[in-house]
Amino acid sequence: MTQKGWGKFFRFYLPLVLFLVFLLFPFYWMFVTTFKSDPELYNLKLNPFLIHTWSLLNVKHLFTQTPFLRWLYNTFFVAITSTVISLSASLLAAYGIQRIRFRGSNLMGIGIFFCYLVPPTILFIPLATMVFKLHLWDSLWALSLIYPTFLIPFCTWLLMGYFNSIPKELEECAMMDGASRLWIFWRVIIPLSLPGILSAGIFAFTLSWNEYLYALTFISTSLRKTVSVGLVTELVRGDVYHWGPLMAGALFGSVPVALVYSFFVEYYVAGITGALKE
Amino acid sequence: MAEVALKHVGKKFGEVLAVDDFTLTIHHGEFMVFVGPSGCGKTTTLRMIAGLEDITFGEIFIDGRKVNLVPPKDRDIAMVFQNYALYPHMTVYQNMAFGLKLKKVPRDEISQRVRQTAELLGILEYLKRKPRELSGGQRQRVALGRAIVRTPKVYLFDEPLSNLDAKLRVQMRLELKKLHEKMDTTSIYVTHDQIEAMTMGDRIVVMRDGKVQQVGHPLEIYMHPKNRFVAGFIGSPTMNFVEHVRVEKEGERLFVVTEGLRFPVPRERSQALSAYLGREVVLGVRPEDLSENGVPDAQETFKAYVEVVQPVGNQIYIDVKAGGRNLLASISPQSQVKTKEEILLRARIENLHFFDPVSEETIA
Repeated sequence: MTQKGWGKFFRFYLPLVLFLVFLLFPFYWMFVTTFKSDPELYNLKLNPFLIHTWSLLNVKHLFTQTPFLRWLYNTFFVAITSTVISLSASLLAAYGIQRIRFRGSNLMGIGIFFCYLVPPTILFIPLATMVFKLHLWDSLWALSLIYPTFLIPFCTWLLMGYFNSIPKELEECAMMDGASRLWIFWRVIIPLSLPGILSAGIFAFTLSWNEYLYALTFISTSLRKTVSVGLVTELVRGDVYHWGPLMAGALFGSVPVALVYSFFVEYYVAGITGALKE
Repeated sequence: MAEVALKHVGKKFGEVLAVDDFTLTIHHGEFMVFVGPSGCGKTTTLRMIAGLEDITFGEIFIDGRKVNLVPPKDRDIAMVFQNYALYPHMTVYQNMAFGLKLKKVPRDEISQRVRQTAELLGILEYLKRKPRELSGGQRQRVALGRAIVRTPKVYLFDEPLSNLDAKLRVQMRLELKKLHEKMDTTSIYVTHDQIEAMTMGDRIVVMRDGKVQQVGHPLEIYMHPKNRFVAGFIGSPTMNFVEHVRVEKEGERLFVVTEGLRFPVPRERSQALSAYLGREVVLGVRPEDLSENGVPDAQETFKAYVEVVQPVGNQIYIDVKAGGRNLLASISPQSQVKTKEEILLRARIENLHFFDPVSEETIA
C-alpha cells in the first residue's frame, strides 16, 4: 500500500471500524445469546463470542411463554398513534410559528422548546394525576396521548427549521395566484417538506418505540405492556434473569426500528440537513 | 389594463420609516420603473401594491378600487420574483397552470392558454420538465409565463433580471419590453440598475431612503435631475461633482470659478444663479459632456492632467486631474490621449448642472 493509502487507512477506516465494532457489539451479543441453549450460555469454559450448538428454545420461550406478539402490537399501536398525533400538531404549529408571524409567535416557539427541556422523571407526577382523571390509567391511549408531550416540541422545532429553508416567495406567489393559506400548506409546503416530515416521523416513531419511563408508570396489566417494559418486567423475576428470551425479545424488538431507518435513510439525512433541492 | 394610484402611502417597520409619503399615479398600460439603491423602499412599495405587506399610512387604488384591505389573491395582479419562485415539485406546465386551476378555468382552456403563452416565450418544449432541469434564463421565462398566462390587470416585477448573467440580462430586457408593447398591460418594475430603468421605463421613479426623489421620463430625469442624488444615480459613468465653486460676476456675465476651472454660466441659467452671487455652489458635469478637443483660451476650456486611460471600445474613459481634483471624462475612441500628458478639455457648458451645497437641490 502507498503511504497515502496507509494515511487514509489510519485516519479514516481504522477509527470507523473501531466505532462500528463498538456500536454493533451489543447487537451481536443479543444475536449469539438468542440462539444459544441455556447450558451453553452458562458454561464459562466455552468461547462466549461463538455459538457452538444452535438452539431455537429461547425464541420459542419468548413467543409461547410471554405475550411478546401482543407487546409488539401494543408498541406499534402506541408508536403510530402518537407519531400521527404529534406530526399533525407539529406541522400546523411549525408552519404557524414560522410563517404566519402572529404577535408572540417567537415566544410561542421558545415556549414549546421549553416543554421539551422538562425531564420526564418530574413530568410524570402531574401527568399521572391527569391520566387518572381522564380514566386512562392502564390504557394504551394514555401513552398515545402522553408521548406527544415530548414528541411535539421535538418535531415542531425540526419542522420549523425545515420550513425556514423553503423560499417565502413560493407562498407569496401562490397567494397572488389566488391560493388560500390552507391550500398553500397542502399543495406547496407539505410536498416540499416531505423529507423533513419523514425524518420528524421517524424520530417520533423511534422515540415512542423505545420509551420506557411513562410506559412503566402508566401501564400495569401484562397484556397492555409495550416491548421495552414487558421484557424487563416479565423476563426478570426478582434477581433471576432469563437471559436467553430477554435477548431474543431485545433482538426482535429492535428489528422494526432498524427496518424503518434503513428504508427511509436517504430522506432522513435530507431532512436533518434541510436540503431542499430546487 | 388598470390604473394604479398610490396616495400618501407610507410603511413603518417598527420605528423605521421604510416608505414615506409616496404619491403616484401609474396610468393604463404604462411601464413604470422604481429605481434606487438597496434599502430605498422600492421593493417595500411594490409589496404593498401586491398586498404582501400591510400599508401603514395612505391608500392604494387598483382600477379605482381601494385595495388597502384586499388580500393579494383578490387584487388580480401577478408578480415575477428575483429568484423565480417556481414550485420545484411541479412541471413547467403545472407551474403555469397553477393560477388558472385555482380560478376554476376549464381544463381545455388552461391547456390552450398555457401552450399559447409557452409558445410566445419559446418554452413550449420544456412544458414537461421540472424547474431544476432548466437554466436560469429558461426559469425566468417560466416565471414570466406563469404571470402572463393569467392575464392580470397589473404586472409587478421585483428585480426579475438580476440573477441572470450580463448578456442574458440585456436580451431579456429587450424581450420584456417587446412583450409589454404587445400586451399593453400596466407594469411596475423594481430595479437597482439605472440602465435597466432608463432603457425599459416609460417613466421612472427614483427613490432614496423611502422618499420619492423624482418622477419622470428617463431622458427628462437624465437631462434635468431634480437634485444631486438623482444626478449622481442616473447616468453611467456617474456625474462628476465639483464642490466649493464660487459664483462671480464679470461685466454682465456670471461665471462659476474654482481652482483650475472657470466656466461662464449659460444665459438661461443666469437668473437662478444670480441669487448665489458671491456664494458657493456644487457644479455637476457628466463625463460625456467633457471632450478632448479644447481650444486654447476659449472660456469653456480647461487644462487637465491625464492619470488613467480606460478604453471600453465605443468610448475612452479618462481619469484626469484638474485644479487638484479628479474628474472622469468620456471621450471619442479615436482620441490619441495618453497617460501623464496634459491636455485641454472642453466642457459643454449648456449641460452643466448646479446644486445648492446645503439642500443639494438643483438650482434652476
